[in-house]
Amino acid sequence: MGLKQSLAVETRGLTKRYSTGVLAVADLNLQVRTGEVYGFLGPNGAGKTTTLRMLSGLLRPTSGTATVAGGVPGSPGSLARMGAMVETPAFYPYLSGRDNLRVVARYAGVPRSRVEPVLQQVDLTDRARHKFRTYSTGMKQRLGVAAALLKEPELLILDEPTSGLDPQGTVEMRELIKQLRHGGRTVLLSSHLLNEVELTCDRVGVIAKGKLVAEGTVDELRARSGGRALLVRATPVDQAQRVLESLLLPGQVQVRDGVFSLAVDPSQAASINRRLVADGVDVSELQVSEQSLEDVFLQLTEQAPTPTLPHKGEGG
Amino acid sequence: MIASLRAESLKTRKRWANWILFGILLLTLLLIGYVLVYFVLSNPPRNFQSRVPARILKREVFPENLIPNVLAFTSSIGAAIMIILGGLSTASEYGWLTVQTILIQKPSRSAVLLGKLAMLAIITLLIAVVTLAATALTSYLLVTIDGSSSTWPSATVLLKGFGALWLEFAVWTAFGMFLGVAFRSTAAAIGGGLTYLFVGEALLGQVFRNTDVVKEVLRFLPGINAGAVHASFRLTFRSPDTATQLVDATRGTITLLAYLVAFTVLALLIFRRRDVGGS
Repeated sequence: MGLKQSLAVETRGLTKRYSTGVLAVADLNLQVRTGEVYGFLGPNGAGKTTTLRMLSGLLRPTSGTATVAGGVPGSPGSLARMGAMVETPAFYPYLSGRDNLRVVARYAGVPRSRVEPVLQQVDLTDRARHKFRTYSTGMKQRLGVAAALLKEPELLILDEPTSGLDPQGTVEMRELIKQLRHGGRTVLLSSHLLNEVELTCDRVGVIAKGKLVAEGTVDELRARSGGRALLVRATPVDQAQRVLESLLLPGQVQVRDGVFSLAVDPSQAASINRRLVADGVDVSELQVSEQSLEDVFLQLTEQAPTPTLPHKGEGG
Repeated sequence: MIASLRAESLKTRKRWANWILFGILLLTLLLIGYVLVYFVLSNPPRNFQSRVPARILKREVFPENLIPNVLAFTSSIGAAIMIILGGLSTASEYGWLTVQTILIQKPSRSAVLLGKLAMLAIITLLIAVVTLAATALTSYLLVTIDGSSSTWPSATVLLKGFGALWLEFAVWTAFGMFLGVAFRSTAAAIGGGLTYLFVGEALLGQVFRNTDVVKEVLRFLPGINAGAVHASFRLTFRSPDTATQLVDATRGTITLLAYLVAFTVLALLIFRRRDVGGS
């Protein structure tokens, strides 16, 4: 059975409210296309891990549905076609890395002969005979990826794979992720690190306070939130602000540390400069700024409304 | 379930804690329950007082009393070891978070837990076999050293005794396993299980045994029912002790089987339905 309509993951109104009352994920509609590397981006506590746990069948959604690798999350059919590393890589501390993979292989019904290739793939062969409890954070993460690869899955779910890694380890993991997409594999990668998704992902979904606030390619997200901006350093600041606010819409002018960020087409730079000078403002700096994904991310996540969904029994 | 059983066998075999527990059980049983008893009763202290002479009491460790002696000793230390074994097998998975690693592989949740249960059944069977074999050998060596003669229990008694031993091991292991799933904490599972074994049921049984209401409750508790099964295998020098037993051996066996099923079903229900991770 092929993956439904070339979507590796599809959620409809996926919602999780914990028994404590915390609404972790609210009405999430997510679509991950087959063969892409999808970055699931959000600040800590945004609901990324809860979503991935639901997609892996570890948590039951309060409402909504999901299809993962062509099946219901947590069903043997779905699990057989996906590999996942959710949150911390968890293994038996008294077993070696190799034995841990053998255990996982037995659970997954995968031949033992798969263990050595995945150890090689994550560059752990030399340390495979050592106990898991002696592993560094980076080695644990790599073993987690190796376990996820044992089934040669069509869909790979990685939750914060560079979490806790040093810069060298982060670079290595990033390279590994790039290799993993080969062969048409779909990778769903969660992260709170912007440059990580910018460097590795085809498309990005931004989640904040449990809701998906934006989805698209990195360029699309930049464009959606204003794309480029005009930066102006001018004095006196009060006078400059008055002029700019009379010239532009209120939402287009932002000032921070004496620098104005204007959400306008850069072609207007000359006319804005002329108007400021004509009104007695000294313009000392004027430049076009490419909005980074970080700006977009902050803009999207800060604007995200606190989700409100009715409690059970309230209807709707 | 087979996949889960195969994975469990590798984990179980390589876990030192399991071997240590088994070693403690065997050493305690052989050294204290056999060797020490034999040497103390062979050379009783001057102030030794008993209605039964020491030379008769000593026969407790001889082959003719193999089954009642093993069952009597394992009802305390054996039950405790089995609770720990069962508790470790499930609660550790939560402590190490390996439960989530397992559950994102292929088998269903039921298959995962049934594989674990099957492995525990095999372990308890092996422990029962080795325990009985080791005590039989020790018993044979002691009677040979003593120069006395003794007879082995009949095949029927041996088989029944082995069944009783395995059943009791299985019930207490299932109890520990259930507590591990329910509490998701090794300390809570083992602490709770041992507290029940040594304080809860023992306290009720010893202090409030003559209270009618408590006596009714006691008839349904696993320890009391295990005791009834033990009592059906009496020492050769003791007369039948039916007066102090609250239930007979048949009811005891049925109750223990009911507990085995109940612990298994409850653990399965909780394991299947409960979320893994999250707040």
